Amino acid sequence: MSAESPNPPSWQYQPSRDLGVPPQDRARSLQRESGLVATLLHQLWWAWVRLYLRLAHRLQISGAENLPRKLPFVIVANHASHLDVLVLAARLPVRLRDHIFPVAAGDVFFERPGVSLFASLCLNALPIWRKRNCSHALADLRQRLLSEPAGFVLFPEGKRSRDGTMDRFKPGLGMLVAGADVPVIPCHIAGAFEAAPPGARIPRWRKIKLHVGQPLHFAQTSNDRPGWDQVAQTTQQAVQSLAEAP
Amino acid sequence: MSVLDRFLDLEHAFDSNISLLLVALVGGVLALSLPAIVLVCRGRAADDKLRVELWQRWRSWVFISPCIVVPILAGPGWTVVAVAVLSLLCYAEFARATGLFREKLLSLLVVLSVLALNFAALDNWYGLFVALFPLTVGVLAVGTIVQDSPKGYLQRTALAILGYALFGAGLAHLAFFSNEPGYRPVLLLLFFAVELNDIFAFCVGKTLGRHKLAPHTSPGKTIEGSLGALVLTTGVVVGFGRVVFAGSAMESWPLLVLLGVMVSALGQLGDLTLSSIKRDLGIKDMSATIPGHGGILDRFNSMLLVAPAVFHLLNYVLPGIGQAQAQRLMTGAG
Repeated sequence: MSAESPNPPSWQYQPSRDLGVPPQDRARSLQRESGLVATLLHQLWWAWVRLYLRLAHRLQISGAENLPRKLPFVIVANHASHLDVLVLAARLPVRLRDHIFPVAAGDVFFERPGVSLFASLCLNALPIWRKRNCSHALADLRQRLLSEPAGFVLFPEGKRSRDGTMDRFKPGLGMLVAGADVPVIPCHIAGAFEAAPPGARIPRWRKIKLHVGQPLHFAQTSNDRPGWDQVAQTTQQAVQSLAEAP
Repeated sequence: MSVLDRFLDLEHAFDSNISLLLVALVGGVLALSLPAIVLVCRGRAADDKLRVELWQRWRSWVFISPCIVVPILAGPGWTVVAVAVLSLLCYAEFARATGLFREKLLSLLVVLSVLALNFAALDNWYGLFVALFPLTVGVLAVGTIVQDSPKGYLQRTALAILGYALFGAGLAHLAFFSNEPGYRPVLLLLFFAVELNDIFAFCVGKTLGRHKLAPHTSPGKTIEGSLGALVLTTGVVVGFGRVVFAGSAMESWPLLVLLGVMVSALGQLGDLTLSSIKRDLGIKDMSATIPGHGGILDRFNSMLLVAPAVFHLLNYVLPGIGQAQAQRLMTGAG
């Protein structure tokens, strides 16, 4: 192969992002990448979730054409139940599954080893710790979102609503996407609170509806405090209007 | 003889006195090194880094040694299972370090091939065991064509074949050894000699080492250490070999020296092979699985080339490994 070749073949190694992370820390690492076992488990788990939602909750989706088909993206919704993450992530493209990460509360999903393994091997969740200073973790998440690229499933309220009403969206969402070419897909979930409110052990057979809105873009928004607030407000309004739509 | 018997063979665990001796040696060394480490750590010369590393290494050895010894003693079936697990762990590390793990289809094919090889070993089906290598290379070469993405074809295919050859086909020979009733002392001796070989090279190199062996590949290694290990390991292999192979064609001095030289030289070359891989990738350890050692591969690299070479030497000199035993236990053609 001559040196002038316009496209010389070259080998490029990309070791896994979590190389050097000890096994016991891998589940909660923000750099975790799925191996063969995790991939198989993800596919099994989400296939089961799709079936479960269809049978137990007769999941209805409106605006399915707005669901993302390529990476990167951030899909968000109101949060009132553990079922929300299943509803929001179940119908995302199967082939992107290993790159779609629900962003989950570290203190709930990544403190106990068993739960932590479930969160990483089945849900493919990444942890965020709410009580600690999480701006550093958000910077890591943003970096991963853009460079991998990845898809995030998250709930900007930061916690499950205890009465089913929607709380204020936190600016952390803005820190992920402000100034970047990443579509934010606002969604509204109805019925999940009735089916499994916080504290419920076993979900009830209630109908759940997912309303997917048109993607929002924040490439022109400044990546600073006012910009982050603007992202949070705009997205909150979009979810609110989906809630009020028929 | 059914395949179940291969898992229920505990009564023969210590049929050979050499097995007992080697296990006692390993246990003794681990037990004696405990007060030695305590002494070193109490001493003034040791800094905190050395203390931590010594303890980590000792604890890791206490954990690894039974993982090697127990399946070998427990029976042929368990040996095959342990080798399969080791192969898969080694491949997983290699795949993660090279990025090959993102090729899920190819990785799945390698995993299935490794399982097939170890199945052939468990079944005592030498024909399949030998046939699987070229066949698998073919499967890996065409496997990703269905994805219709030629970009990176050469890299992923070559990496998969190298990974399969070193960690699957190479190590699977350890599993096939278990088809010979007297496999226990042979395998224990191999592991013992290969690990001792590393230690010899390290100790001789530290005390006498002047000339670098391959500074760009592995800066710590010296020619003196390498030759010292060659002599010492060969001595150990010949000494034990006289007893292990007593009464067989392998008993002759020249053959035992050849065996010892092979174990030492190929052990060191396996080490350098992994060093080359790591240098090319620009990483220090393959992973952080074993505290103080790095990855599984950092510990077992020396066995990669030794296993197939020693297998075929013995298979050539002795009347065929496993050939005098019941063939094809599960697939049973006759």
